[in-house]
Amino acid sequence: MNKATASGAMLRAATPYGFLLPALLVTALVILFPVLQTAWYSLHEYVLYDPDNFRFVGLRNFATALSDEVFWIALLNSAIWVSGIVFLQLLLGLGAALLLNQSFWWRGMARALVIIPWALPSVIIGLMWTWIYDFNLGVFNDILLRIGLISAPHPWLAQPSTALACIMLALVWQGFPFFTVTILAGLQTVPHELYEAAEIDGANSWRQFLHVTLPSIAGIVATAVLLRIIWVANSLDVILVMTGGGPGYATHTLPLYAFLRAYTGMEFGYAASLSLMLTAILLGIVWLYVRRQAGEMER
Amino acid sequence: MERRTFMKLAGAAALSFEAAMPAIAQGKATVRWWYHYDNPQNTPASLVAKFEAENPDIKIQAEPIPWGGGTDYINRIFSSLVAGNQPDCAMVRLSYLSRFGQMKALEPLDGFLTNWKGRSDISDDVWKINRSPDGKQYYMPLHYVVIYLYYRQDLLQQAGLQPPKSFEDFLTAAKALTKDGIYGYGMRGGAGCHDNWGPFVLGGGASFDKGGMITEKAFAANRWFVDLAVKHKVVPPSAPTDAFRQIVDAFKAGRTGMAIHHIGSVAEVVGALGDKVSAVPVPRGPDGGGWTYFGDESNAIFAGSKNKEAAFRWISFLSSAENNAEQAKLSGQLPITISDAKNWTVHPKRFVEASDASLPIAKPLPDHVKTPDFVGRVLPTNLQRALTGGMNPDDLMKAVELTFYG
Repeated sequence: MNKATASGAMLRAATPYGFLLPALLVTALVILFPVLQTAWYSLHEYVLYDPDNFRFVGLRNFATALSDEVFWIALLNSAIWVSGIVFLQLLLGLGAALLLNQSFWWRGMARALVIIPWALPSVIIGLMWTWIYDFNLGVFNDILLRIGLISAPHPWLAQPSTALACIMLALVWQGFPFFTVTILAGLQTVPHELYEAAEIDGANSWRQFLHVTLPSIAGIVATAVLLRIIWVANSLDVILVMTGGGPGYATHTLPLYAFLRAYTGMEFGYAASLSLMLTAILLGIVWLYVRRQAGEMER
Repeated sequence: MERRTFMKLAGAAALSFEAAMPAIAQGKATVRWWYHYDNPQNTPASLVAKFEAENPDIKIQAEPIPWGGGTDYINRIFSSLVAGNQPDCAMVRLSYLSRFGQMKALEPLDGFLTNWKGRSDISDDVWKINRSPDGKQYYMPLHYVVIYLYYRQDLLQQAGLQPPKSFEDFLTAAKALTKDGIYGYGMRGGAGCHDNWGPFVLGGGASFDKGGMITEKAFAANRWFVDLAVKHKVVPPSAPTDAFRQIVDAFKAGRTGMAIHHIGSVAEVVGALGDKVSAVPVPRGPDGGGWTYFGDESNAIFAGSKNKEAAFRWISFLSSAENNAEQAKLSGQLPITISDAKNWTVHPKRFVEASDASLPIAKPLPDHVKTPDFVGRVLPTNLQRALTGGMNPDDLMKAVELTFYG
């Protein structure tokens, strides 16, 4: 190989990295740097209103978190929050996608309408649902009273037994269109011949769904679930608007608890350790997903 | 004179002339001011226009910040200070002073105040209350409110009762008013709950002094307050998370017979209920003691401001006679200037009288670095737990004690 050919080959090999470099640099700047900074803060006692007393405390913040009652309540609530919301959103999104994949005259409009909850800002969603659940004036109580399911208004957001479920319902409503749109896109890529072949083989609609539709969209669903887990696990705006984490700790999730300790208590060191713990949990989930994807690619 | 010498002298003269000019005269200074009004539709535009006409070298950028029970507002200020993006000046409260002090965030106003003519139009008592423990004056008093008790005089009359003066009267009235879907008292357990909790618990014998939250008397007062919801059920079931909007709306809608708030909500309440509503000071405790929240509001200039002189001109304008009255109309609160407070007719007389009568027992929250945390997180969370049966009321008091003296 002559010199010119060799340098051309090197240039070609380096070109993809050249294109990736700006994106990598930006990612490092806006993601990696704050993560490292958070990790650094988590090892310190860092109270924002007392910046002169920035002290290295090692892993003490993590040890404090593990013996903090609220951390465990928030962790349990986070697990219920993420699993409940993502499962229900997936179920609802899948159902809506299957319906919208059918042929009917107002399908275009239905597809546009279904996206509305997803397009609304979370703060609006929070305020809207707060008034829906309102003890005195809310339509939720009104409907239940009219159909005779309850005999007196219920304070949905003021009772620890119902508050978390009520906020979850609001977020399920907001987020299911994401699954609908994603799965709908997947459904439209399934070759029609597969259904024809299944029909010839005598498969009914349920078996076609089970053996043709589901395997065809499994990859898309897995990716959508992963993204949703991360988003829902990190979301706190709707909770903040609807209950602020209350009553008591009933709607405290891990990111909300970290937020409150950071912005109300101004305890950045402790809040950083809480955030890092959440990050570690989410990274574990991502790792499981990546391992699964890699396994599929090898097959 | 040599040409070179002349040039040097001319240059030096030009530089010294520039340096001698006040900073704001070098161009139009823009003063960023953060404020909040209970009614977000109210705007200080006319005050800004008047000030800018009188001070053509200064532009006021007035930025409304959501109150959110106090926590949104103060969190935004503290965050902006940490980020170095704070406004030049902002409305502030006494209970934030310690934290601002620890952050070295405020500019002392003593130098400016020496030559300010409006100083004597604000009472010496107010200046004294606003003074920092280090002896400096960081706050320019703006307006104040005092928490009192709104009550439905028509409903109390029907029940043959007088407006409550003691805790016992209050409970009797609350029980009498609780019937047919109406609750006696619209308790505030959500954001800003300190101003409903304080009159009964601090008025009943608790205090912010060391050990003051964990005496038998303090425990008993807190149990009494929690029992209004848990045992006597004279408050709406939504009380644990009800905040300003919910308690005022429920009172306006006739779903509660009494509510604790201040003169800032008079326009709304009287607009809905007219003469059916009146106010008295909050009830006194069993031993005659009482406590109500002195809702102070001042302006302060941040140390990081590059327009301190211009900022002072603006905040002193707002605390000057006539302008202060206009400002109080917008905030719905009471003017701080002696001249504007005289013959104040903006609010109906009975509510001004209830405010005045409350002054002897009115106190601000403690000036402590943990006070914002107490208001924003510790009290609401633990009170809600106690109100919903998730916590022994005594543990709530221990948590408050721990916050300040842990």
